[in-house]
Amino acid sequence: MISPGQKVYAYFPGCSLETTNKAYDSSTRNVAKVLGVEMVELADWNCCGATAYLSIDDGRAMVLSARNLALSEGQSRDLVTVCSGCYVVLHKANHRFQEDPQLRDRVREALKAGGMDYRGTVRVRHFLDVVVNDLGKEAIERHVVRRLEGLRVACYYGCQITRPYAEFDDAEFPESMDRLMGWLGATPVDFQLKTKCCSGMLMTTQQDVGLDAAGKLLREARRAGADCISTACPLCQVNLEAYQDKISDRAGADSHIPVLYFTQLLGTALGLGNRELALGDSLTRVEPMLAARLEAP
Amino acid sequence: MKDGNQIGVYICHCGTNIARTVDIQEVAGFARSLPGVAVVREYKYMCSDPGQALIKEDIKSERLTHVVVASCSPLMHEETFRGACEDAGLNRFLFQMSNIREQCSWVHHERSEATEKAKRLIAAAVRRVAQHRPLLRQEVPVRGEALVVGAGIAGIEAALRLADSGRHVYLVEKESSIGGHMARFDKTFPTLDCAACILTPKMVTVGQHPNITLLTLSAVEEVKGFVGNFHVKVHQHARYVTADCTGCGECEKVCPCVHPNDFDLLGSTRKAIYRSFPQAIPNAYVIEKRGVPMCEETCPIHTRTQGYVNLIAHGDFTGALKVIRDVNPFPASLGRVCHHPCEDRCQRGYHDESLAICALKRFVADREIELGLSPEPVRPEPNGRKVAVVGSGPAGLTGAYDLARKGYAITIFEKYGKPGGLMRTGIPPFRLPREILDREVAHVLAHGVELRLNTPLGESGVTIESLKEDGFDAILLALGTTKGRDLGIPGEHLVGVVNCLDYLREANLHDRAETGRRVAVVGGGNAAVDAARTALRHGAENVMILYRRTREEMPAIGAEIEAAKHEGVELHFLVNPVELRVGPSGRLNRVRCQKMRLGQPDEGGRRRPIPIDGEYVEFEIDQVILAISQLPDLDFLVKDKDFDLTKWATLRADPYTCETGKLGVFAAGDAVTGPSTVVEAMASGRQAATAVDLYLHGEDLDILRQESHRPQELPLMDHVRRPDLPRKPRARIPVNHGAGISFEEVERTFTREQAMEEAARCLVCGGCSDCRICSDACDREAIDHLMADTVHELDVGAIVVATGFEPYDVRKLPRYGYGRHDDVITALEFERMCHASGPTGGRITTKKGEAPKTVAILHCIGSRDESHLEYCSRVCCMYSLKFAHLVREHTGAEVYNFYIDIRAFGKGYEEFYKRLLREGVHFIRGKAAEVTAVAESPEEEGKLMVVAEDTLLGITRRVPAELVILSAGLAPRKDSSDVAHVFSLGCAQGGFFLEKHPKLAPVDTPTEGIFLAGACQGPKDIPDSVAQGSAAAAGALVLMDRGKVVLEPIRAVIREERCGGCKLCVASCPFGAVEYDAERSISRVVRELCHGCGTCAAGCPSGAATQENFEDTQILAEIEGALAV
Repeated sequence: MISPGQKVYAYFPGCSLETTNKAYDSSTRNVAKVLGVEMVELADWNCCGATAYLSIDDGRAMVLSARNLALSEGQSRDLVTVCSGCYVVLHKANHRFQEDPQLRDRVREALKAGGMDYRGTVRVRHFLDVVVNDLGKEAIERHVVRRLEGLRVACYYGCQITRPYAEFDDAEFPESMDRLMGWLGATPVDFQLKTKCCSGMLMTTQQDVGLDAAGKLLREARRAGADCISTACPLCQVNLEAYQDKISDRAGADSHIPVLYFTQLLGTALGLGNRELALGDSLTRVEPMLAARLEAP
Repeated sequence: MKDGNQIGVYICHCGTNIARTVDIQEVAGFARSLPGVAVVREYKYMCSDPGQALIKEDIKSERLTHVVVASCSPLMHEETFRGACEDAGLNRFLFQMSNIREQCSWVHHERSEATEKAKRLIAAAVRRVAQHRPLLRQEVPVRGEALVVGAGIAGIEAALRLADSGRHVYLVEKESSIGGHMARFDKTFPTLDCAACILTPKMVTVGQHPNITLLTLSAVEEVKGFVGNFHVKVHQHARYVTADCTGCGECEKVCPCVHPNDFDLLGSTRKAIYRSFPQAIPNAYVIEKRGVPMCEETCPIHTRTQGYVNLIAHGDFTGALKVIRDVNPFPASLGRVCHHPCEDRCQRGYHDESLAICALKRFVADREIELGLSPEPVRPEPNGRKVAVVGSGPAGLTGAYDLARKGYAITIFEKYGKPGGLMRTGIPPFRLPREILDREVAHVLAHGVELRLNTPLGESGVTIESLKEDGFDAILLALGTTKGRDLGIPGEHLVGVVNCLDYLREANLHDRAETGRRVAVVGGGNAAVDAARTALRHGAENVMILYRRTREEMPAIGAEIEAAKHEGVELHFLVNPVELRVGPSGRLNRVRCQKMRLGQPDEGGRRRPIPIDGEYVEFEIDQVILAISQLPDLDFLVKDKDFDLTKWATLRADPYTCETGKLGVFAAGDAVTGPSTVVEAMASGRQAATAVDLYLHGEDLDILRQESHRPQELPLMDHVRRPDLPRKPRARIPVNHGAGISFEEVERTFTREQAMEEAARCLVCGGCSDCRICSDACDREAIDHLMADTVHELDVGAIVVATGFEPYDVRKLPRYGYGRHDDVITALEFERMCHASGPTGGRITTKKGEAPKTVAILHCIGSRDESHLEYCSRVCCMYSLKFAHLVREHTGAEVYNFYIDIRAFGKGYEEFYKRLLREGVHFIRGKAAEVTAVAESPEEEGKLMVVAEDTLLGITRRVPAELVILSAGLAPRKDSSDVAHVFSLGCAQGGFFLEKHPKLAPVDTPTEGIFLAGACQGPKDIPDSVAQGSAAAAGALVLMDRGKVVLEPIRAVIREERCGGCKLCVASCPFGAVEYDAERSISRVVRELCHGCGTCAAGCPSGAATQENFEDTQILAEIEGALAV
């Protein structure tokens, strides 16, 4: 009932896009507008279920998640998120719902108490998948007004976008974002750590480990000759951009590099301004880098 | 229940197997109470001789009519007891077996329950057997020939065993040589014998064995029939090299086409004509032809494009010209004016840009002129026949060229004072210089062709009758189009309105075209563009082209339109002249045009122009050149009623045979087809010449009517999509900017370097370019480029399937970096690297050519992995150990083996492992997690690191390696499901073929007469494959030596009187064993083909189809027996 060619989607921002990662939200919404993609925010959405909650009480976490799916089901639209965490949790809820009849009954019972139901028909998508596969090369290229010629980008996918559910790209060696950057005129560098761990929540609990993990990514991107790192996950973005001074000190090696969301690079190529893409929110030197690398719009 | 039944029931204790859980006495007592039962006996081992004797005795003494044995599964002993019945004179099918062991005593713990169930099972059997009828078995002879599919080591072994025992063997192999994977190996474990040394003697024996028919490049397409009598269809792909080949290799030296070498790997290359390895059997070379490439397919005269292009790439320009002239007498002219459809679907175009084929043709032709060389005409012995060709345009000249080269005496009659037809009168000299045209016409005439100028068809020249009187055996009319079509609008006959053909003829033939100041050319074809550019050169100040569609629909060659624009010709689109008007002076001064828009596409696919009501535009002009369309001048010809016009006012001729209404008179070119391009007219002339030749040889022209095949796009070459093939746009055609608007030629020719570089862009998607210089190089005349595929129909008694495996594709595991890091290679690549005749000549080396100092060997790549191959591939540990030894031996490098477990299970294997430990090879217990070039410390900089968890030390190890070998698992072949379908085999583990029993029948299959051998059944090493090859041969020999097979009578039957002819059974039979008799409207079972599966019986709506021994009454009785205790 949901065709892949549709241009209307239900949009699930998730909690981080309302707090630490507002730039991801605004760049996503504005990019979608330019591309002619209607993203209707899911009314009354709640927590996706959260990766951490899953390991404490997965039944309750699933109910949380399924409530969002149930809200979306009535609309016959794919549920799109830009947060890899939300993406993987909603996916997991969907899969578990199909595979585990006991859990399914429990979830439906819980939803029923709230006057809702879920039948398991919603398709959960990442916005990167929508851009690369639903829109595709020609549609994107048609909208590009400021080619990112000469910009060298390390495309960083993180872990959750293709694992465990390699729905739209290779689990170990995804290339969607690299292709997208190529369409925009940028040069994706050979970034070998594209799916390696950013340290996730360890940055807050075991910071030593977190700094080392994120540091490896930053330095490898620099070594590969990248001008910037492009991310597809709010947590990756924070881990990579927020600790660069600390990481540099700890490693005794300059580990600074601008980090931005893939939607911000996409938006730049589509001719959106720094304000619409909230480039000013960045903790790294994104604006000077773009100004130096690209011709003025 | 029938009266008079005397049923014997025999209950087996099976030692304690049954007796422990089933109360035999109670069951026996119960059995005695069953209706029809005359005798009940129990015994400790009913299958033993005394047990069987009990049954035989009773059959005789008690006159038993039926027998039931309650014991184990029928799979174990049904045959035993049926045999006992038969021995005692009772039909073997008046017997029923009741399984009270596997289905009763073994699965129950409660004695009472088991006893109860045994009773029911016996009651069911007794009821059922009472319904049994005697059935007869049929014996059929077994054919003495065998088929072995796959000529790896298992297939070779099976074939040799069969052949040595005097049986004839057909050995079918898909590749060009036998030998399979083993032929690519260097050494074999654990003995380290050279693989070739032990394999090639067997291969040679196969090649020479009088009892073996070897079919290489072949695949089995269909297997019909049944055990002992299989009918097999084998498709053999042409080798294009005959058995006369001695393998001298001269052909390979001259072949210009280079392709990746799939046998040697590691980026090595081979030619299109090749031999996989020096000891190949058969030793003959083979040519890789992938099919006809689109450049040749779309060329109207089917020039062997890739042939000449690749010769140009190698600097053989004379050879290239020879390839072109095989079909084309005008290389220099066509190299300038052709509309080159060959370039439209060039595979190179999918990668960057299509090849500049036309300009390459021009280059070789121009080079000949530049060097002052003249082509040699082909002058065979005259065959004594005379043919008249009327018209010296491209169609006439090509017809004359072809026929003269076949020995005909040709005379061409030309209306005008110079030959060439529209090539001269239509095409202006700045596109086709006259000296070029003259030279190429002269080449045609040099074939002994006589040319009579100023001789039109008509009273003033020659007539059909006069030509016949002059002794011409056939006449080819190639009259062309010489009249322009009118627009049919007011003012068309004013002074200043001229037809394009007349205008161009005057300009091109006499250089004196009357030209206005402001000229409008009406039309969008090549003639219109030529006329516009000619007008500029004849003094017009302003020239415009008026066309009723848009630029996209213009039929003229794109480059010519661009040139015209460049020279200043104005293009006006979507305008259609409706009136030509005179000014105050009474002279033509305006053209009034209707404005148009585009509507739906017409049948030709071009969008139709539609007038926009009331919208007009006027242009000020003083001359109008009409280039709408062209017509042949046939006024004289049609006075003869044998000649007829089509509705398009062209000459009617058969589209296939070119015959006109008059016997012996053929017609071709634009006069028949309407306006076309030069190359299309040439193709038409060729077609007519072929017809004339057949006609004069008294042959049936109908063979020309065979529908030509649809052009098929060849599969894309692998490297078309490969990013490492550098993108290289086509060479730009040089332009003579100095020419300006003059009569000098505008386009120029490539330089030698440009041409060779451009030609080298050809991907040779045809495999072989078909240049055929290998034929010249072959002293033995063993090369036949026109060889066709063959289909062999074979009758065999038994089949051995030994189709082997393929290594798992390591690209599916990106974590190991294959394809991204140069020095990560596969096991098979390492085998070739070690091999003395491999791409490195046996040198173990990194991509840079250095001997590695550290080598990592990663076990279990793909194997024992839930996401890839779940199973252990069985040979990887041992071949990895072999690799470790070879690396140590050749280079002394440190070798690290990353393993999960070492599985050294075979004879001498564990000893080999111990030896390796002593040799100082490092073993790290832990599956490698990844191979990375990302350094974690300064020491790691620039190195490949293998990361693994060492499970003995409990730490993560990062080991640098200069060469990494991925020991990939063994996977089923990609086409295994197709093969399984052809041979009715079952598949397991993603495609390995299923044996009949994993322990007791490892080489049999459920289909009797078909055997398995080697790695197609599961991963296997060489000793096991050889053992299976022998075993499968033995299985086949057992069948053949017995000489006959018994067909079980348990087959379907269709009762005619009940059959409604619905054909449901025909459609549902998986073995094609049900035939429909249309005359009697019933279906019938072919007993020999029926496998007794019962599908038809289950599906038959009228109950006409039944299965012997599984009839409804029998099954219902059994159910009743089971329920009615």
